[in-house]
Amino acid sequence: MVVEEERRSSSSSLRMGTNNDFFNSGSAIIERTDGLVVDLLQFESPIYQMQCRQGEWRWTAITQLAHHGMLYVPIGYTFGAGMFKMDSIRGGSPYGAGVFSGDGSREPSEKELELAQHQGKYMAMIVKRFDSKILHSSTMETLLTLNPLKPQTHLLKLPNFPIYPRISTHRCSFSPISCKLTSQPSKDTTNSKIVVPGAAPSLSEEKEPPAAPAEGSRRKDAGGVVVKRLTKKVLSFLANLPLAIGEMFAIAALMALGTAIDQGEKPEYYFQKYPEDNPILGFFSWRWILTLGFDHMFSSPVFLGTLILLGASLMACTYTTQIPMVKVARRWSFLHSANTIKKLEYSDSLPKASIQDLGVILSGAGYEVFLKGPSLYAFKGLAGRFAPIGVHLALLLIMSGGTYTATGSFKGSVTVPQGLNFVMGDVLGPSGFLSTPTEAFNTEVHVNRFSMDYYDSGEVSQFHTDLSLFDIDGKEVMRKTISVNDPLRYEGVTIYQTDWSISAIQILKDGEGPFNLAVAPLTVNGDKKLYGSFLPIGNADSTNVKGISMLLRDLQSVVLYDQEGKFAGVRRPNSKLPIEIDGTKIEIVDAIGSSGLDMKTDPGVPIVYAGFGALMLTTCISYLSHTQIWALQDGTTVVVGGKTNRAKIEFPDEMNRVLDRVPEINQPSDVICG
Amino acid sequence: MIFSTLEHILTHISFSIVSIVITLHLITLLGNEIIKPYDSSEKGMIATFLCLTGLLITRWIYSGHFPLSDLYESFIFLSWCFSLIHIVPYFKKRKNYLTTITASSTIFTQGFATSGLLNEIHKPTILVPALQSEWLIMHVSMMILSYAALLCGSLLSVALLVITFRNIFYSSKSNNLLKLNESFSFGEIQYKNERNNIFQKNSFFSDNNYYKAQFIQQLDYWSYRVISLGFIFLTIGILSGAVWANEAWGSYWSWDPKETWAFITWIVFAIYLHIRTKKNLQGANSAIVATLGFLIIWICYFGVNLLGIGLHSYGSFTLTSS
Repeated sequence: MVVEEERRSSSSSLRMGTNNDFFNSGSAIIERTDGLVVDLLQFESPIYQMQCRQGEWRWTAITQLAHHGMLYVPIGYTFGAGMFKMDSIRGGSPYGAGVFSGDGSREPSEKELELAQHQGKYMAMIVKRFDSKILHSSTMETLLTLNPLKPQTHLLKLPNFPIYPRISTHRCSFSPISCKLTSQPSKDTTNSKIVVPGAAPSLSEEKEPPAAPAEGSRRKDAGGVVVKRLTKKVLSFLANLPLAIGEMFAIAALMALGTAIDQGEKPEYYFQKYPEDNPILGFFSWRWILTLGFDHMFSSPVFLGTLILLGASLMACTYTTQIPMVKVARRWSFLHSANTIKKLEYSDSLPKASIQDLGVILSGAGYEVFLKGPSLYAFKGLAGRFAPIGVHLALLLIMSGGTYTATGSFKGSVTVPQGLNFVMGDVLGPSGFLSTPTEAFNTEVHVNRFSMDYYDSGEVSQFHTDLSLFDIDGKEVMRKTISVNDPLRYEGVTIYQTDWSISAIQILKDGEGPFNLAVAPLTVNGDKKLYGSFLPIGNADSTNVKGISMLLRDLQSVVLYDQEGKFAGVRRPNSKLPIEIDGTKIEIVDAIGSSGLDMKTDPGVPIVYAGFGALMLTTCISYLSHTQIWALQDGTTVVVGGKTNRAKIEFPDEMNRVLDRVPEINQPSDVICG
Repeated sequence: MIFSTLEHILTHISFSIVSIVITLHLITLLGNEIIKPYDSSEKGMIATFLCLTGLLITRWIYSGHFPLSDLYESFIFLSWCFSLIHIVPYFKKRKNYLTTITASSTIFTQGFATSGLLNEIHKPTILVPALQSEWLIMHVSMMILSYAALLCGSLLSVALLVITFRNIFYSSKSNNLLKLNESFSFGEIQYKNERNNIFQKNSFFSDNNYYKAQFIQQLDYWSYRVISLGFIFLTIGILSGAVWANEAWGSYWSWDPKETWAFITWIVFAIYLHIRTKKNLQGANSAIVATLGFLIIWICYFGVNLLGIGLHSYGSFTLTSS
């Protein structure tokens, strides 16, 4: 059966059509329409007019609806003489209009139509009289088809006769929507329809089957239904909060494990450190580590799989939980009863106040205020409800950017002595299957000069490299001096200064030269670097070769030791000051450094940066608390109540401060309106 | 020379003031609330704050760089953040429960910093090239600020847990353990205690329990707000660190131990915030997560430095026996 109702402001009339199986479905009606009816009863005049078949069921139906406390308006014999004419078979009675539809194919006859039209007119008149302050409810008509023979039911049909002298006309379109009854409508007109399946529901072949109020009356084939149900199940599984929390814990635990276990070592290292015959915690040996991939934890399948699962949960949660919650939060309505307001989290009453003053003060305090008659609604901080969605989306953006980086970037590092060059493509290596080299990879990079700056205390303060880039034709395309924290960017490739080294010392030996001596790094405990070089004296091929050792900590000075290993002296490069060691005259001409460069091209960086910015912004915004305030002018008192979702501690103080500023009105005022 | 003496003086002044303040707090806790010592303790905290600010500024001028380059300086900065968190609500004229926690945290961190354990790095040092960047100020200060806020919030949660468990043990001495499950939500405790209040005025624990329940709820809300503020700072800190790493070394995330542990901290507090979305899980469950977060922050801040490896090795040190 179909129940349609249309409301205008606060009056409504309800037309219910039924079929002859009505008394079975009576309880169903009461169930389904309970909410609606309770709602209607809050208005002045629910008027009910029922059309039903002639015969015994009519009073059963009426008594059922008496439970709702509805008013029943029959037409009686107001139609006049036409009611007594039985020259054709027609439906309709003093109880109301009706149609004999046979098996559903018989169209209403003219007489039946006339009766129906009259009923409509009559009904409108009654309604108007009853609730003359507001309007006209022009009602929609439903026709029922009654079938005296088969206990088959339903349907719904649109009025296809535009007959009424309407006060306002409309045809409702027929999409059965799921009617969510809000407590009070905030808009002026609501037009909703409740579709109630009949008690013996074999669905008809009509165009609009009265299906359960769900998504609409799409026709689906069986396969589509299965897919949809499966998707729903998967989504609700993924959006489960404890699952998400478990995933986060798992990721945290894996990461902690990744820092505890040394990464990237050879298998022998793990054999030694986590031996099988003496496992940690009784079971944890190298087998666990190597099979589960914990030696390269952050790219292992376990870790990446958990991350992907978390990403899926994020998407599912946003879709199923967050977006609906936002829709709910955006809907609001006035509260019309002081008792309801007093039951809110925080409530107060201001005697001798005016609600307009409150509204003004609230909007000064940053609230958006809506004032209608005696009631007020104000809110603030709605963005705080949207922001968590933004957080999830930003996280997804970061994850996708990170994935792109991991699969589509190039990186490499090289140490280039001053004066030498290299080609970018030789140094850069791909990281994943999406990496495609670009034209810029043919560029040749030339290290013109490497230099270092020092503090007064002798520590290194900064190091610089003067770079020139030549394209494939040999033309210089770029020249820049880079230093740490100041890289070079060229066509998507970035060159960073990350390290330095010493490659050679140029010396003059006994006035001859200059000779280049290779310099090697020496391993010393700690962070300090030390480089050494060796100048053999005498026969260089003998096994017990002796010579002059030179040690450098940086490019500033060289420490020289004689053949016995005794300290000989310190010289600065370019000082032109020779030193005599064991008969040999050494002059340090220059110390040549080499620049440690890291190169990289990363297409995922813009995505990741966008995600970073979005995450920072949305996290800040989600700190805001969504505050809602309702107020009602009750005589000369204003009853105020409010609630907030996050800032539960500061809220009472803030409300007190706001309410303190509402002025007190001492004389009986004309400001207060009803 | 002047600067180092000035520094010395300021350190000692702040240290002593804070210890006096703590003592006053303890006295007020043990006795009834005496207004006068409370006020002077507040003023004492303001003086501490000014001293610490002066200390940091002195170091800044003396060394030429923002005072955040090694562990000692970051500890001083941390205690400065604690005292900042302590006095901000004071200026907003709002009494809160943080005061005891922040005051004691200030003194503990400062005491640890000035103690003999970190003797060798008291002197201001020069910045290595990698740290010579504007990002230093943004990234490190945000991180330390977030540590301070998150530590405060988790300490509040720890307090909440302590009080809850004591409450349960006292009020259900004769009851069986099944009641533990019910008592976990505030609504229930309050409801039960309100009923107790109305119907059984004879029970000694009923009034106490009601106020305790209220106090626990206040602690819970405060902990939530402070932790969400700290979470915002932590997010900004981690992300600015990632951007800095990209500008300096070409990779915004390289699974450095410190980075990884900061991320773990972030995840644990995200779990805390998510647990709070469900009403029935609030209270003790989220407090347990926050306590876990407290431990993890210390591992992240301090424990990783003990390893001494990775990109963040500036903060490393070796424990010397004094």
